[in-house]
Amino acid sequence: MKDWRKYILALIITAAMFVTAFYLTSMLNSARLADIRGAQEQIAIDLLSSETQFELLGNLDCNLITQNPILSEELNSMAERLSFAENNLNPENDNVVRLKKQYTLLEIKDYLLMEQISKKCNTSPVSILYFYSNQDDCPDCTRAGDVLTYLRQTYPSLRVYSFDYHLDLGALQTLISLRKVKADLPALIINNRIPVYGFRNLEETRALIPELKDLATSTTETK
Amino acid sequence: MDLGALGVYACLFMGLYFEVFLLISFFEKRPSQKTAHGPRRFPAVSIIVPCYNEERTIAATVQSLLALEYQKKKLNIVVVDEKVYRPRNLLEHMQAVEYIFGVFFKKMFDNLASISVLPGPFSLYRREVFQKVGTFRHAHNTEDMEMAFRMHAHGLKIANAHTAYVHTTVPKTLRTLLTQRVRWSQGYLQNSLDYRYMYGNLRFGHFGMFTLPFGLAAFAAGLYLAGYMLYHVATTLGARTLTLWATGIPLRPPALPTEWFFLNTSMMLFLTVAVFLMTLAAIILGARIAQARLSAKSLAIYFVLFGFVAPLWLLRAVWNTARVRESVWR
Repeated sequence: MKDWRKYILALIITAAMFVTAFYLTSMLNSARLADIRGAQEQIAIDLLSSETQFELLGNLDCNLITQNPILSEELNSMAERLSFAENNLNPENDNVVRLKKQYTLLEIKDYLLMEQISKKCNTSPVSILYFYSNQDDCPDCTRAGDVLTYLRQTYPSLRVYSFDYHLDLGALQTLISLRKVKADLPALIINNRIPVYGFRNLEETRALIPELKDLATSTTETK
Repeated sequence: MDLGALGVYACLFMGLYFEVFLLISFFEKRPSQKTAHGPRRFPAVSIIVPCYNEERTIAATVQSLLALEYQKKKLNIVVVDEKVYRPRNLLEHMQAVEYIFGVFFKKMFDNLASISVLPGPFSLYRREVFQKVGTFRHAHNTEDMEMAFRMHAHGLKIANAHTAYVHTTVPKTLRTLLTQRVRWSQGYLQNSLDYRYMYGNLRFGHFGMFTLPFGLAAFAAGLYLAGYMLYHVATTLGARTLTLWATGIPLRPPALPTEWFFLNTSMMLFLTVAVFLMTLAAIILGARIAQARLSAKSLAIYFVLFGFVAPLWLLRAVWNTARVRESVWR
Protein backbone atom coordinates (compact mmCIF):
# COMPACT_ATOMS: atom_id res chain seq x y z
CA MET A 1 0.00 0.00 0.00
CA LYS A 2 1.33 3.44 -0.88
CA ASP A 3 2.58 5.11 2.29
CA TRP A 4 0.37 8.21 2.18
CA ARG A 5 -2.72 6.03 1.72
CA LYS A 6 -1.94 4.27 4.98
CA TYR A 7 -2.04 7.59 6.82
CA ILE A 8 -5.41 8.42 5.25
CA LEU A 9 -6.82 4.94 5.95
CA ALA A 10 -5.76 5.12 9.61
CA LEU A 11 -7.42 8.55 9.86
CA ILE A 12 -10.64 7.22 8.32
CA ILE A 13 -10.74 4.20 10.65
CA THR A 14 -10.05 6.34 13.72
CA ALA A 15 -12.71 8.86 12.71
CA ALA A 16 -15.13 5.95 12.15
CA MET A 17 -14.45 4.77 15.71
CA PHE A 18 -15.26 8.24 17.04
CA VAL A 19 -18.45 8.39 15.00
CA THR A 20 -19.45 4.92 16.24
CA ALA A 21 -18.84 5.92 19.87
CA PHE A 22 -20.89 9.09 19.35
CA TYR A 23 -23.68 7.09 17.71
CA LEU A 24 -23.73 4.51 20.52
CA THR A 25 -23.93 7.25 23.15
CA SER A 26 -26.74 9.04 21.29
CA MET A 27 -28.63 5.79 20.83
CA LEU A 28 -28.40 4.97 24.53
CA ASN A 29 -29.47 8.49 25.51
CA SER A 30 -32.48 8.19 23.20
CA ALA A 31 -33.27 4.85 24.84
CA ARG A 32 -33.06 6.53 28.24
CA LEU A 33 -35.53 9.22 27.19
CA ALA A 34 -37.83 6.54 25.78
CA ASP A 35 -37.56 4.67 29.08
CA ILE A 36 -38.53 7.78 31.02
CA ARG A 37 -41.39 8.44 28.60
CA GLY A 38 -42.66 4.87 29.03
CA ALA A 39 -42.43 5.06 32.82
CA GLN A 40 -44.24 8.40 32.84
CA GLU A 41 -47.03 7.02 30.70
CA GLN A 42 -47.41 4.15 33.13
CA ILE A 43 -47.48 6.53 36.10
CA ALA A 44 -50.07 8.69 34.32
CA ILE A 45 -52.25 5.63 33.74
CA ASP A 46 -51.87 4.51 37.35
CA LEU A 47 -52.67 8.00 38.63
CA LEU A 48 -55.73 8.23 36.40
CA SER A 49 -56.82 4.81 37.63
CA SER A 50 -56.47 5.91 41.28
CA GLU A 51 -58.32 9.15 40.63
CA THR A 52 -61.15 7.29 38.87
CA GLN A 53 -61.31 4.71 41.65
CA PHE A 54 -61.50 7.50 44.20
CA GLU A 55 -64.32 9.19 42.32
CA LEU A 56 -66.21 5.92 41.94
CA LEU A 57 -65.89 4.95 45.59
CA GLY A 58 -66.08 8.43 47.13
CA ASN A 59 -65.37 8.22 50.84
CA LEU A 60 -67.22 4.94 51.31
CA ASP A 61 -64.28 2.60 51.52
CA CYS A 62 -60.98 4.12 52.53
CA ASN A 63 -59.56 0.63 53.19
CA LEU A 64 -59.96 -0.25 49.54
CA ILE A 65 -58.25 2.95 48.46
CA THR A 66 -55.36 2.47 50.85
CA GLN A 67 -54.93 -1.08 49.49
CA ASN A 68 -53.81 0.67 46.29
CA PRO A 69 -51.43 3.26 47.74
CA ILE A 70 -50.44 6.16 45.61
CA LEU A 71 -47.28 5.73 43.74
CA SER A 72 -44.43 7.06 45.90
CA GLU A 73 -41.99 4.38 44.78
CA GLU A 74 -42.70 4.87 41.08
CA LEU A 75 -42.43 8.63 41.40
CA ASN A 76 -39.17 8.34 43.35
CA SER A 77 -37.73 6.05 40.67
CA MET A 78 -38.85 8.52 37.99
CA ALA A 79 -37.21 11.39 39.91
CA GLU A 80 -33.87 9.54 39.93
CA ARG A 81 -34.11 8.80 36.23
CA LEU A 82 -34.96 12.35 35.31
CA SER A 83 -32.17 13.71 37.51
CA PHE A 84 -29.68 11.33 35.85
CA ALA A 85 -30.89 12.37 32.40
CA GLU A 86 -30.62 16.07 33.32
CA ASN A 87 -27.07 15.62 34.59
CA ASN A 88 -25.83 13.51 31.67
CA LEU A 89 -27.73 15.05 28.79
CA ASN A 90 -27.99 18.76 28.13
CA PRO A 91 -30.58 20.08 30.63
CA GLU A 92 -31.76 22.51 27.92
CA ASN A 93 -32.41 19.56 25.60
CA ASP A 94 -36.02 19.89 24.34
CA ASN A 95 -36.84 16.28 25.11
CA VAL A 96 -35.52 16.55 28.66
CA VAL A 97 -37.47 19.78 29.28
CA ARG A 98 -40.66 18.23 27.89
CA LEU A 99 -40.28 15.14 30.08
CA LYS A 100 -39.59 17.34 33.06
CA LYS A 101 -42.81 19.28 32.46
CA GLN A 102 -44.81 16.05 32.16
CA TYR A 103 -43.24 14.73 35.33
CA THR A 104 -43.98 17.99 37.16
CA LEU A 105 -47.65 17.71 36.17
CA LEU A 106 -47.77 14.11 37.40
CA GLU A 107 -46.22 15.20 40.69
CA ILE A 108 -48.82 17.94 41.14
CA LYS A 109 -51.67 15.52 40.31
CA ASP A 110 -50.27 12.95 42.73
CA TYR A 111 -49.94 15.60 45.43
CA LEU A 112 -53.53 16.82 44.96
CA LEU A 113 -54.90 13.28 44.97
CA MET A 114 -52.94 12.48 48.11
CA GLU A 115 -54.37 15.58 49.78
CA GLN A 116 -57.96 14.59 48.93
CA ILE A 117 -57.50 11.01 50.14
CA SER A 118 -55.83 12.11 53.36
CA LYS A 119 -58.75 14.46 54.14
CA LYS A 120 -61.45 11.91 53.31
CA CYS A 121 -59.77 8.85 54.82
CA ASN A 122 -58.10 10.60 57.72
CA THR A 123 -54.60 9.39 56.81
CA SER A 124 -51.42 11.37 57.61
CA PRO A 125 -48.94 11.12 54.76
CA VAL A 126 -45.77 13.16 55.17
CA SER A 127 -45.02 15.30 52.16
CA ILE A 128 -42.36 17.81 51.20
CA LEU A 129 -42.67 20.23 48.31
CA TYR A 130 -39.09 21.08 47.34
CA PHE A 131 -38.38 24.06 45.07
CA TYR A 132 -34.93 24.25 43.47
CA SER A 133 -33.14 25.84 40.53
CA ASN A 134 -30.58 24.51 38.00
CA GLN A 135 -29.41 28.01 37.21
CA ASP A 136 -26.66 29.83 39.07
CA ASP A 137 -29.08 31.37 41.60
CA CYS A 138 -29.00 28.38 43.96
CA PRO A 139 -25.52 27.13 44.86
CA ASP A 140 -26.91 25.06 47.79
CA CYS A 141 -29.61 23.30 45.80
CA THR A 142 -27.47 20.26 45.00
CA ARG A 143 -26.74 19.68 48.69
CA ALA A 144 -30.37 20.22 49.65
CA GLY A 145 -31.31 17.65 47.01
CA ASP A 146 -28.78 15.19 48.49
CA VAL A 147 -30.34 15.56 51.95
CA LEU A 148 -33.87 14.97 50.62
CA THR A 149 -32.70 12.01 48.54
CA TYR A 150 -31.18 10.46 51.65
CA LEU A 151 -34.42 11.02 53.61
CA ARG A 152 -36.46 9.58 50.77
CA GLN A 153 -34.27 6.47 50.68
CA THR A 154 -34.42 6.15 54.47
CA TYR A 155 -38.20 6.64 54.72
CA PRO A 156 -39.75 4.99 51.64
CA SER A 157 -43.22 6.36 52.37
CA LEU A 158 -41.97 9.95 52.63
CA ARG A 159 -43.29 11.85 49.61
CA VAL A 160 -40.84 14.38 48.20
CA TYR A 161 -42.09 16.43 45.27
CA SER A 162 -39.24 18.31 43.51
CA PHE A 163 -40.05 21.33 41.37
CA ASP A 164 -37.72 23.40 39.20
CA TYR A 165 -38.79 26.90 40.28
CA HIS A 166 -38.04 28.42 36.86
CA LEU A 167 -39.79 25.75 34.77
CA ASP A 168 -42.14 27.39 32.31
CA LEU A 169 -45.30 25.47 33.26
CA GLY A 170 -48.63 27.12 34.12
CA ALA A 171 -49.69 24.60 36.75
CA LEU A 172 -46.36 24.91 38.57
CA GLN A 173 -46.39 28.70 38.54
CA THR A 174 -49.97 28.57 39.93
CA LEU A 175 -48.82 26.29 42.74
CA ILE A 176 -45.90 28.64 43.50
CA SER A 177 -48.25 31.59 43.52
CA LEU A 178 -50.88 29.87 45.71
CA ARG A 179 -48.28 28.76 48.26
CA LYS A 180 -46.54 32.16 48.07
CA VAL A 181 -43.10 30.64 47.51
CA LYS A 182 -40.43 33.32 47.10
CA ALA A 183 -37.44 32.91 44.79
CA ASP A 184 -35.17 32.36 47.78
CA LEU A 185 -34.02 28.85 46.99
CA PRO A 186 -33.90 26.10 48.10
CA ALA A 187 -37.39 26.29 49.58
CA LEU A 188 -39.32 23.53 51.39
CA ILE A 189 -43.02 23.28 52.18
CA ILE A 190 -43.38 20.48 54.72
CA ASN A 191 -46.87 19.07 55.24
CA ASN A 192 -48.48 22.27 53.91
CA ARG A 193 -46.80 24.46 56.53
CA ILE A 194 -45.31 27.84 55.63
CA PRO A 195 -42.30 27.73 53.32
CA VAL A 196 -38.85 27.27 54.84
CA TYR A 197 -36.02 28.93 52.92
CA GLY A 198 -32.30 28.19 52.72
CA PHE A 199 -30.16 25.09 53.01
CA ARG A 200 -30.56 22.84 56.07
CA ASN A 201 -28.29 19.87 56.77
CA LEU A 202 -29.66 16.42 57.59
CA GLU A 203 -30.23 16.96 61.30
CA GLU A 204 -31.73 20.40 60.80
CA THR A 205 -34.10 19.03 58.14
CA ARG A 206 -35.12 16.12 60.40
CA ALA A 207 -35.89 18.64 63.13
CA LEU A 208 -38.30 20.37 60.73
CA ILE A 209 -40.21 17.08 60.23
CA PRO A 210 -41.17 15.57 63.62
CA GLU A 211 -43.63 13.32 61.74
CA LEU A 212 -40.68 11.26 60.48
CA LYS A 213 -40.50 9.32 63.74
CA ASP A 214 -43.81 7.65 62.86
CA LEU A 215 -42.65 6.52 59.43
CA ALA A 216 -41.15 3.11 58.73
CA THR A 217 -37.49 3.15 57.70
CA SER A 218 -35.65 1.14 55.11
CA THR A 219 -32.88 -1.25 56.31
CA THR A 220 -30.12 1.01 54.96
CA GLU A 221 -30.43 3.86 57.42
CA THR A 222 -27.32 4.54 59.48
CA LYS A 223 -27.43 6.78 62.51
CA MET B 1 -18.00 19.97 27.27
CA ASP B 2 -15.11 21.44 29.29
CA LEU B 3 -11.65 22.10 27.83
CA GLY B 4 -10.09 19.38 29.96
CA ALA B 5 -12.38 16.75 28.43
CA LEU B 6 -11.50 18.05 24.93
CA GLY B 7 -7.86 17.40 25.74
CA VAL B 8 -8.71 13.85 26.77
CA TYR B 9 -10.55 13.30 23.47
CA ALA B 10 -7.50 14.62 21.60
CA CYS B 11 -5.28 12.13 23.45
CA LEU B 12 -7.73 9.30 22.75
CA PHE B 13 -7.79 10.22 19.05
CA MET B 14 -4.03 10.24 18.89
CA GLY B 15 -3.72 6.94 20.77
CA LEU B 16 -6.30 5.25 18.56
CA TYR B 17 -4.71 6.62 15.37
CA PHE B 18 -1.30 5.33 16.44
CA GLU B 19 -2.60 1.84 17.24
CA VAL B 20 -4.75 1.67 14.09
CA PHE B 21 -1.72 2.66 12.00
CA LEU B 22 0.42 -0.06 13.57
CA LEU B 23 -2.30 -2.68 13.17
CA ILE B 24 -2.63 -1.77 9.48
CA SER B 25 1.14 -2.31 9.24
CA PHE B 26 0.72 -5.69 10.93
CA PHE B 27 -1.89 -6.88 8.44
CA GLU B 28 0.11 -5.52 5.51
CA LYS B 29 3.14 -7.61 6.37
CA ARG B 30 2.64 -10.30 8.98
CA PRO B 31 5.80 -11.45 10.74
CA SER B 32 7.00 -14.88 9.63
CA GLN B 33 6.89 -17.69 12.14
CA LYS B 34 10.09 -18.87 13.75
CA THR B 35 11.87 -21.36 11.49
CA ALA B 36 14.33 -24.19 11.94
CA HIS B 37 16.34 -23.04 8.89
CA GLY B 38 19.71 -21.54 9.69
CA PRO B 39 21.67 -18.82 7.85
CA ARG B 40 23.31 -19.71 4.53
CA ARG B 41 26.60 -18.01 5.30
CA PHE B 42 28.45 -17.41 8.55
CA PRO B 43 30.35 -14.10 8.58
CA ALA B 44 32.67 -13.41 11.50
CA VAL B 45 30.74 -11.77 14.31
CA SER B 46 32.07 -9.90 17.31
CA ILE B 47 29.78 -9.64 20.32
CA ILE B 48 30.87 -6.85 22.62
CA VAL B 49 29.45 -7.02 26.14
CA PRO B 50 30.06 -3.77 28.05
CA CYS B 51 29.70 -4.35 31.82
CA TYR B 52 29.60 -2.12 34.86
CA ASN B 53 29.27 -3.93 38.22
CA GLU B 54 27.46 -6.80 36.48
CA GLU B 55 28.80 -9.54 38.79
CA ARG B 56 25.29 -10.91 39.32
CA THR B 57 24.50 -11.43 35.64
CA ILE B 58 27.79 -11.67 33.67
CA ALA B 59 28.27 -15.43 34.04
CA ALA B 60 24.78 -16.24 32.80
CA THR B 61 25.17 -13.76 29.93
CA VAL B 62 28.43 -15.32 28.75
CA GLN B 63 26.95 -18.83 29.07
CA SER B 64 23.97 -17.84 26.94
CA LEU B 65 26.27 -16.32 24.29
CA LEU B 66 28.38 -19.51 24.26
CA ALA B 67 25.17 -21.49 23.72
CA LEU B 68 24.41 -19.60 20.47
CA GLU B 69 23.95 -21.92 17.51
CA TYR B 70 26.73 -20.33 15.47
CA GLN B 71 30.11 -21.58 14.25
CA LYS B 72 32.29 -21.04 17.30
CA LYS B 73 35.44 -20.25 15.27
CA LYS B 74 33.53 -17.38 13.59
CA LEU B 75 32.35 -15.98 16.94
CA ASN B 76 34.36 -13.52 19.00
CA ILE B 77 33.00 -12.59 22.42
CA VAL B 78 34.55 -9.55 24.06
CA VAL B 79 33.53 -8.75 27.61
CA VAL B 80 34.43 -5.18 28.49
CA ASP B 81 34.48 -4.72 32.21
CA GLU B 82 34.42 -1.05 33.21
CA LYS B 83 31.52 -3.15 35.87
CA VAL B 84 15.36 -17.83 31.93
CA TYR B 85 13.59 -15.00 33.59
CA ARG B 86 10.62 -15.17 35.78
CA PRO B 87 8.88 -12.02 37.06
CA ARG B 88 8.51 -12.14 40.80
CA ASN B 89 7.17 -8.85 42.07
CA LEU B 90 4.49 -6.49 40.74
CA LEU B 91 6.96 -4.28 38.86
CA GLU B 92 8.53 -7.28 37.14
CA HIS B 93 5.11 -8.53 36.05
CA MET B 94 4.32 -5.09 34.69
CA GLN B 95 7.60 -4.94 32.77
CA ALA B 96 7.15 -8.46 31.38
CA VAL B 97 3.98 -7.32 29.62
CA GLU B 98 5.57 -4.04 28.63
CA TYR B 99 8.43 -5.84 26.89
CA ILE B 100 6.00 -8.09 25.04
CA PHE B 101 4.09 -4.97 23.96
CA GLY B 102 7.49 -3.66 22.86
CA VAL B 103 7.99 -6.75 20.66
CA PHE B 104 4.86 -5.78 18.71
CA PHE B 105 6.04 -2.16 18.42
CA LYS B 106 9.51 -3.16 17.24
CA LYS B 107 8.13 -5.44 14.57
CA MET B 108 5.66 -2.86 13.31
CA PHE B 109 8.31 -0.16 13.29
CA ASP B 110 10.45 -2.65 11.37
CA ASN B 111 7.66 -2.95 8.79
CA LEU B 112 7.71 0.84 8.56
CA ALA B 113 11.55 1.00 8.45
CA SER B 114 11.40 3.29 11.46
CA ILE B 115 12.89 1.48 14.45
CA SER B 116 13.88 4.16 16.93
CA VAL B 117 16.31 2.29 19.19
CA LEU B 118 18.83 -0.54 18.83
CA PRO B 119 18.32 -2.21 22.22
CA GLY B 120 21.38 -2.75 24.32
CA PRO B 121 20.49 -6.38 25.27
CA PHE B 122 21.25 -7.47 21.80
CA SER B 123 21.93 -5.62 18.58
CA LEU B 124 24.20 -6.64 15.73
CA TYR B 125 25.91 -4.12 13.46
CA ARG B 126 27.80 -4.42 10.23
CA ARG B 127 31.27 -2.99 10.85
CA GLU B 128 30.86 -0.57 7.91
CA VAL B 129 28.09 1.21 9.89
CA PHE B 130 30.74 2.63 12.23
CA GLN B 131 32.91 3.54 9.29
CA LYS B 132 30.04 5.49 7.74
CA VAL B 133 28.45 7.18 10.76
CA GLY B 134 31.13 7.03 13.43
CA THR B 135 31.27 5.16 16.73
CA PHE B 136 29.01 5.37 19.79
CA ARG B 137 28.69 8.70 21.54
CA HIS B 138 27.80 9.48 25.15
CA ALA B 139 24.41 10.66 23.80
CA HIS B 140 22.80 11.46 27.16
CA ASN B 141 23.37 7.87 28.42
CA THR B 142 21.21 6.48 25.59
CA GLU B 143 23.82 5.68 22.95
CA ASP B 144 21.71 2.81 21.51
CA MET B 145 18.88 5.23 20.76
CA GLU B 146 21.16 7.93 19.38
CA MET B 147 22.83 5.38 17.09
CA ALA B 148 19.41 4.50 15.65
CA PHE B 149 18.64 8.19 15.08
CA ARG B 150 22.03 8.66 13.42
CA MET B 151 21.59 5.63 11.17
CA HIS B 152 18.22 6.96 9.99
CA ALA B 153 19.79 10.36 9.39
CA HIS B 154 22.33 8.63 7.09
CA GLY B 155 19.67 6.52 5.36
CA LEU B 156 20.97 3.22 6.77
CA LYS B 157 18.69 0.23 7.36
CA ILE B 158 17.69 -1.20 10.75
CA ALA B 159 15.90 -4.56 10.82
CA ASN B 160 14.24 -6.47 13.65
CA ALA B 161 15.02 -10.19 13.89
CA HIS B 162 11.86 -11.23 15.73
CA THR B 163 12.82 -14.90 15.53
CA ALA B 164 15.80 -14.37 17.85
CA TYR B 165 15.35 -15.03 21.57
CA VAL B 166 16.86 -12.32 23.76
CA HIS B 167 16.42 -12.30 27.52
CA THR B 168 17.19 -9.38 29.79
CA THR B 169 16.94 -8.63 33.49
CA VAL B 170 14.74 -5.78 34.65
CA PRO B 171 14.79 -3.42 37.63
CA LYS B 172 13.07 -4.95 40.63
CA THR B 173 12.41 -1.90 42.74
CA LEU B 174 10.55 1.32 42.00
CA ARG B 175 13.68 3.39 42.57
CA THR B 176 15.81 1.43 40.09
CA LEU B 177 12.95 1.26 37.58
CA LEU B 178 12.44 5.02 37.71
CA THR B 179 16.20 5.59 37.35
CA GLN B 180 16.26 3.43 34.22
CA ARG B 181 13.11 4.88 32.67
CA VAL B 182 14.01 8.48 33.42
CA ARG B 183 17.27 7.81 31.59
CA TRP B 184 15.41 6.30 28.60
CA SER B 185 12.73 9.01 28.48
CA GLN B 186 15.12 11.86 29.04
CA GLY B 187 17.40 10.35 26.40
CA TYR B 188 14.49 10.35 23.98
CA LEU B 189 13.77 14.01 24.65
CA GLN B 190 17.40 15.09 24.48
CA ASN B 191 18.16 13.05 21.35
CA SER B 192 14.99 14.48 19.83
CA LEU B 193 16.30 17.96 20.48
CA ASP B 194 19.62 17.03 18.86
CA TYR B 195 17.84 15.53 15.84
CA ARG B 196 14.86 17.87 15.74
CA TYR B 197 15.36 18.48 12.02
CA MET B 198 14.03 14.95 11.41
CA TYR B 199 10.61 15.68 12.92
CA GLY B 200 7.86 15.93 10.29
CA ASN B 201 10.52 15.64 7.61
CA LEU B 202 9.40 13.55 4.60
CA ARG B 203 13.03 12.86 3.74
CA PHE B 204 13.20 10.44 6.69
CA GLY B 205 10.07 8.51 5.74
CA HIS B 206 7.89 7.00 8.49
CA PHE B 207 10.62 7.64 11.06
CA GLY B 208 10.29 11.38 10.61
CA MET B 209 6.58 11.49 9.82
CA PHE B 210 5.21 8.92 12.28
CA THR B 211 7.55 7.38 14.87
CA LEU B 212 9.22 10.54 16.14
CA PRO B 213 6.12 12.79 16.28
CA PHE B 214 3.99 10.11 17.94
CA GLY B 215 6.78 9.29 20.40
CA LEU B 216 6.79 12.89 21.54
CA ALA B 217 3.00 13.10 21.48
CA ALA B 218 2.85 10.02 23.71
CA PHE B 219 4.95 11.93 26.25
CA ALA B 220 2.59 14.86 26.22
CA ALA B 221 -0.50 12.65 26.27
CA GLY B 222 0.80 10.56 29.17
CA LEU B 223 1.47 13.61 31.29
CA TYR B 224 -1.77 15.35 30.31
CA LEU B 225 -3.96 12.33 31.06
CA ALA B 226 -2.22 11.69 34.38
CA GLY B 227 -2.67 15.35 35.33
CA TYR B 228 -6.30 15.37 34.24
CA MET B 229 -7.11 12.19 36.20
CA LEU B 230 -5.35 13.51 39.28
CA TYR B 231 -7.21 16.82 39.05
CA HIS B 232 -10.54 15.11 38.43
CA VAL B 233 -10.11 12.63 41.32
CA ALA B 234 -8.87 15.33 43.70
CA THR B 235 -11.72 17.74 42.91
CA THR B 236 -14.35 14.99 43.03
CA LEU B 237 -13.06 13.68 46.37
CA GLY B 238 -12.78 17.21 47.69
CA ALA B 239 -16.31 18.10 46.61
CA ARG B 240 -17.73 14.87 48.07
CA THR B 241 -15.93 15.39 51.37
CA LEU B 242 -17.21 18.95 51.57
CA THR B 243 -20.75 17.81 50.73
CA LEU B 244 -20.68 15.09 53.38
CA TRP B 245 -19.45 17.58 55.94
CA ALA B 246 -22.01 20.24 54.97
CA THR B 247 -25.04 17.92 54.68
CA GLY B 248 -24.26 15.62 57.61
CA ILE B 249 -25.27 12.63 55.48
CA PRO B 250 -23.47 9.52 56.81
CA LEU B 251 -20.76 8.02 54.60
CA ARG B 252 -22.02 5.01 52.66
CA PRO B 253 -20.32 2.79 50.11
CA PRO B 254 -21.20 3.94 46.59
CA ALA B 255 -24.19 2.09 45.19
CA LEU B 256 -23.40 0.11 42.06
CA PRO B 257 -25.90 0.69 39.26
CA THR B 258 -28.46 -2.11 39.20
CA GLU B 259 -30.12 -0.99 35.96
CA TRP B 260 -28.64 -0.26 32.54
CA PHE B 261 -30.22 3.21 32.73
CA PHE B 262 -27.68 4.40 35.29
CA LEU B 263 -24.57 2.93 33.64
CA ASN B 264 -21.90 5.31 32.37
CA THR B 265 -22.33 5.23 28.58
CA SER B 266 -20.39 8.34 27.67
CA MET B 267 -18.47 8.63 24.42
CA MET B 268 -15.25 8.98 26.42
CA LEU B 269 -15.83 5.61 28.08
CA PHE B 270 -16.46 3.84 24.77
CA LEU B 271 -13.30 5.31 23.26
CA THR B 272 -11.25 4.40 26.33
CA VAL B 273 -12.53 0.83 26.02
CA ALA B 274 -11.51 0.89 22.34
CA VAL B 275 -7.97 1.97 23.26
CA PHE B 276 -7.82 -0.72 25.93
CA LEU B 277 -8.96 -3.44 23.52
CA MET B 278 -6.51 -2.38 20.83
CA THR B 279 -3.69 -2.30 23.37
CA LEU B 280 -4.66 -5.78 24.51
CA ALA B 281 -4.72 -6.95 20.87
CA ALA B 282 -1.25 -5.49 20.31
CA ILE B 283 0.09 -7.23 23.43
CA ILE B 284 -1.42 -10.56 22.34
CA LEU B 285 0.10 -10.15 18.88
CA GLY B 286 3.43 -9.29 20.52
CA ALA B 287 3.21 -12.51 22.55
CA ARG B 288 2.54 -14.47 19.35
CA ILE B 289 5.49 -12.87 17.58
CA ALA B 290 7.80 -13.57 20.52
CA GLN B 291 6.20 -16.95 21.19
CA ALA B 292 6.04 -15.88 24.81
CA ARG B 293 3.44 -16.84 27.38
CA LEU B 294 1.28 -14.15 28.95
CA SER B 295 -0.39 -14.63 32.29
CA ALA B 296 -3.69 -12.98 33.18
CA LYS B 297 -2.03 -11.86 36.40
CA SER B 298 0.76 -10.01 34.54
CA LEU B 299 -1.77 -8.42 32.19
CA ALA B 300 -3.97 -7.21 35.05
CA ILE B 301 -0.95 -5.81 36.91
CA TYR B 302 0.25 -4.03 33.77
CA PHE B 303 -3.09 -2.34 33.06
CA VAL B 304 -3.59 -1.31 36.67
CA LEU B 305 -0.05 -0.23 37.53
CA PHE B 306 1.42 1.26 34.38
CA GLY B 307 -0.81 4.34 34.40
CA PHE B 308 0.39 5.20 37.92
CA VAL B 309 4.10 4.49 37.44
CA ALA B 310 4.80 5.82 33.93
CA PRO B 311 3.81 9.47 34.59
CA LEU B 312 6.42 9.56 37.38
CA TRP B 313 9.33 8.97 35.02
CA LEU B 314 7.84 11.07 32.23
CA LEU B 315 7.51 14.03 34.57
CA ARG B 316 11.03 13.61 35.91
CA ALA B 317 12.45 13.29 32.40
CA VAL B 318 10.70 16.47 31.22
CA TRP B 319 11.86 18.32 34.33
CA ASN B 320 15.47 17.19 33.93
CA THR B 321 15.49 18.03 30.22
CA ALA B 322 14.08 21.48 30.88
CA ARG B 323 16.77 22.07 33.51
CA VAL B 324 19.45 20.67 31.16
CA ARG B 325 20.39 18.11 33.77
CA GLU B 326 21.96 14.81 32.64
CA SER B 327 20.39 11.50 33.67
CA VAL B 328 22.24 8.97 35.80
CA TRP B 329 23.05 5.51 34.56
CA ARG B 330 22.36 3.81 37.85
